[in-house]
Amino acid sequence: MTGSLDERLDAIFEAVLDYEDEKTERLVREELAHGTDLQVILNDALISAMDEVGDLFSEGALFVPEMLMAARAMKAGLEVLRPLLADTDSKPVGTIVLGTVHRDLHDIGKNLVGMMLEGAGFTVVNLGVDVPPENFLEAVHEHHPDVIGMSALLTTTMPNMGKTIQLLRKEGWNGHIMIGGAPVNQEFADAIGADGFAADAPGAVELARRMIGAA
Amino acid sequence: MGNDAKSSTKRRSRRDRLAAKSGETVAPEAASTDFDVAMPKPLPAGGSAARPSFAYLDDARVDEFVERSYLILEEHGIHVSHAAAAAKLSEAGCKVDVDGRLVRIPRALAEEALAATPRAVTLCSKSGRHDLEIPRPDNTFHMRTGTGAHGFNEPAGKWRKLVMDDVKAIAAIGDGLPEVGFIAHPFVNGVPERTSDIHGLATMLANSEKHNWIQPYDVLNARFLLEMAAVAAGGEENLRARPIVSCIACSFSPFEFKEMDIEAIIQCGRYGVPIHACSLPTAGGTAPVTMPGTVLMAAAEILALVTLTHILAPGTPLIATPLIFALDMRTGRSLQASVEALSGAAMAVQVCKRGFGLMTHTYGSGSDTPDLGGQSMAERALVNFIVGQSGADILGGVGQLECATVFSPIQAILDSELGSMQRAWMRTPEIDDETLAWDLMMDVPQGGHFLANEHTLKHCRDVFEPSAFLKLARDPYEAAGRRSEIDNARAIYDRLMKREVPPGLPGEDAVAEINRIVVAADKAILD
Repeated sequence: MTGSLDERLDAIFEAVLDYEDEKTERLVREELAHGTDLQVILNDALISAMDEVGDLFSEGALFVPEMLMAARAMKAGLEVLRPLLADTDSKPVGTIVLGTVHRDLHDIGKNLVGMMLEGAGFTVVNLGVDVPPENFLEAVHEHHPDVIGMSALLTTTMPNMGKTIQLLRKEGWNGHIMIGGAPVNQEFADAIGADGFAADAPGAVELARRMIGAA
Repeated sequence: MGNDAKSSTKRRSRRDRLAAKSGETVAPEAASTDFDVAMPKPLPAGGSAARPSFAYLDDARVDEFVERSYLILEEHGIHVSHAAAAAKLSEAGCKVDVDGRLVRIPRALAEEALAATPRAVTLCSKSGRHDLEIPRPDNTFHMRTGTGAHGFNEPAGKWRKLVMDDVKAIAAIGDGLPEVGFIAHPFVNGVPERTSDIHGLATMLANSEKHNWIQPYDVLNARFLLEMAAVAAGGEENLRARPIVSCIACSFSPFEFKEMDIEAIIQCGRYGVPIHACSLPTAGGTAPVTMPGTVLMAAAEILALVTLTHILAPGTPLIATPLIFALDMRTGRSLQASVEALSGAAMAVQVCKRGFGLMTHTYGSGSDTPDLGGQSMAERALVNFIVGQSGADILGGVGQLECATVFSPIQAILDSELGSMQRAWMRTPEIDDETLAWDLMMDVPQGGHFLANEHTLKHCRDVFEPSAFLKLARDPYEAAGRRSEIDNARAIYDRLMKREVPPGLPGEDAVAEINRIVVAADKAILD
């Protein structure tokens, strides 16, 4: 890819929005060869593209599978940068531990949130599904997250969000907690003491940014 | 990889996005709209190889209606008020009694007429952008607004008499809604009652891009109405080549054919204008209280109209139009959406479509309640589905309330959405490896998902997307101020009212000529 820096970054941005994972990866490699700063590629092309994806999704212009495919393309570019970022002083936007709560096996929505958070530059620790409260607590000790995100799809498993929050607070962890999932709403979040609720993946990104003061 | 869908999104460029974030500029495409509702769009091209349908009547029952229709015409006969028409029927072999009006139609003549009736027609729009092929090539249906409304439910819900400005509003709504194929002139208050049809059509011709449906109110009116249509089309030959109007001709149940409707047939023949051959029996009033009897009467009357058209206007396209009503035995009101009327509609459509093999048109919308609400939506959903599945080519009654006497623009917008939903559903899917997702099915990990793969990406936009109807969870619904499907329809209405002048409208000279005809009609009919 030739052209000015702006034109080359535009191409990466467009490749993500066109769900072109191989092209995104190739263009990021080429941009590195041009000597462009890692943070410029990350923030001005990749994260900017995912922000646009999130906005388009919120406006109803993009569908869930399209958002996922864009996230996949973004991740392909991010994987090129990740080892290099580890060698620099740059810090991730924040660290988030994600999990679907105890006795709930649904992971698509939670994974979608994880992909979008990664696309926004967060480090995401995905604990998977059927995560007991104790495992969230272990993850706190191991990863020192800024935010814990919990998901539930079933009305029968929603109460396990409250139990997890009770344990985390009882053990003295005072970080941010956000929840999401089909049966969950703001009223429920308030009732169980969560710090926030997001209705969809882009909303989760915005909420996480607000929680850590990066919005 | 990529997706055609990407072209449908309004993206900001990277640089605009960064500039907006830093507060330097705001990209024009990021500016908010007046409201957050999508405007209704036509269904994408496509369709089924065969039309999905249900058989409310089996073939033997349909045949029985057909056989008895022939018997009624041959043995009982019809009354024809138009002397010249009765004479022509006599010349064609009908038995006409001493007063020259009671006409018995021999079966052979009715069969000849049926065989000669065109099975397809194009109802042309003025612009050429909305021509309607009937039957619809995708094996679904067209919809239209009604002729009978004299009341207008304002967008906020208040009822008032329908006036001339409302005709312009109906034109704009009809032109803007994708499921409305053609537009009728309603009854207009504030002009002379006996020429209200002429005043209404003049305004409709001058303001609507789509095909118009004419309903004459008297004998002379039919001539003036067709004359106006010829002017709007750019002359008689143009109207014949591209009929921008079609016209209703009705029986007067039971078994009478008034001079006005015979004149309408003659005038349609003169101009080559398609005829909606209409029987409007009311079970328990002008027809037997038992619905099969009402349907039989409608079938016989339509067969009579087929014969009349064959003799008086040979070769003129004809669309069978049974409009079945039931008398409310408690109040004496006519009902169009009662269970009995729906049963009649299903039977009548199947007799006309399968029994006679004719293009068929009936109410496919409408309700007996005065206001938009739960009942109106439930009744029209049922009417739309039953009539659509019965095989009708045209579903009438868009926006219709209080048994065809009121037009509601908000209801019309929701009706169009309902019509789109049914037409989308009627597109029966192909069953093949692609739609069965066979390769993917054999590859997906047990316990996996289908969200993030090429097959889902390829087809995720094949779904029907409503404009007004909601698909919201509670929180965003509350955040949007509990905006309902009716609020969305009102927003769509506001935008439709702000439309630009559509193409194809008659020019200034033609409008002036149409207005001269209106003045002449008032003088001829009222003086």
